[in-house]
Amino acid sequence: MKLTKYEKARIIGARALQLSMGAPPLIRISEDMLDPIIIAIKELEKGVIPISVRRRMPEKKLLGEEE
Amino acid sequence: MKELVRVPPERFGTKLEETVMDILKRGYDYRGRQEGGYEGRLHPELGMILAVTKIVDIEDGRVIPGDGAAYHPTTFEMLVFKPELHEIVDGEVVEIVDFGAFVRFASFDGLVHVSQLTDDFIVYDKKRGALVGKETRRALEVGDRVRARVVAVSLNPEKTKESKINLTMRQPALGKFEWIMEEKQKAKKKEK
Repeated sequence: MKLTKYEKARIIGARALQLSMGAPPLIRISEDMLDPIIIAIKELEKGVIPISVRRRMPEKKLLGEEE
Repeated sequence: MKELVRVPPERFGTKLEETVMDILKRGYDYRGRQEGGYEGRLHPELGMILAVTKIVDIEDGRVIPGDGAAYHPTTFEMLVFKPELHEIVDGEVVEIVDFGAFVRFASFDGLVHVSQLTDDFIVYDKKRGALVGKETRRALEVGDRVRARVVAVSLNPEKTKESKINLTMRQPALGKFEWIMEEKQKAKKKEK
């Protein structure tokens, strides 16, 4: 599933906040990447973030789509 | 019962069901507000929540802007107790005061007013900490097991301690267990 740039930004933001609040990272992290935003971007690139986007469609139906 | 459960990010990566169960049972403090922690709390409609027994379903979590936590709509079962009007309860006397006796049953304390103890005139014996009937000399003390009927219920969910339950023992087959036995034996003798 291809994400729009807005969805990417939203997911990175949400994930970075989770990481900053103490969620365990889902990728290996090293000493030189302790910034939660960087970790969140790396996680998104690898596709390991367990967040999905529910797009609101014109027919008012909610579509649950895998990230 | 269905409730939105906030799972904080630091508890991600553990077993979701166990975490949710723990939050439902014990809860935690989130910005000065109690999150979860239903056990031992008074629900305005259901009564006292004695235990969270089973999680029926945990739906997918939602991410809410501004909070890193996941919110899971959760359906779960609870064991509750609500004293009903006219219900018969068995309890133990936990405190005697000059105006009556406090009886603990299930998770509540109810008050039996002196006028509702027996048909007899009741005198408060300060030295013994007991309530004594003037004619029958029957005494009620702390620790006695009694059977009583609920006559008034006023629950206050905000202040559990201010919930009031009034009981009466002034009916046949109510009162201290020993009295009930005595009455039964008397009735048997009469039959003979």
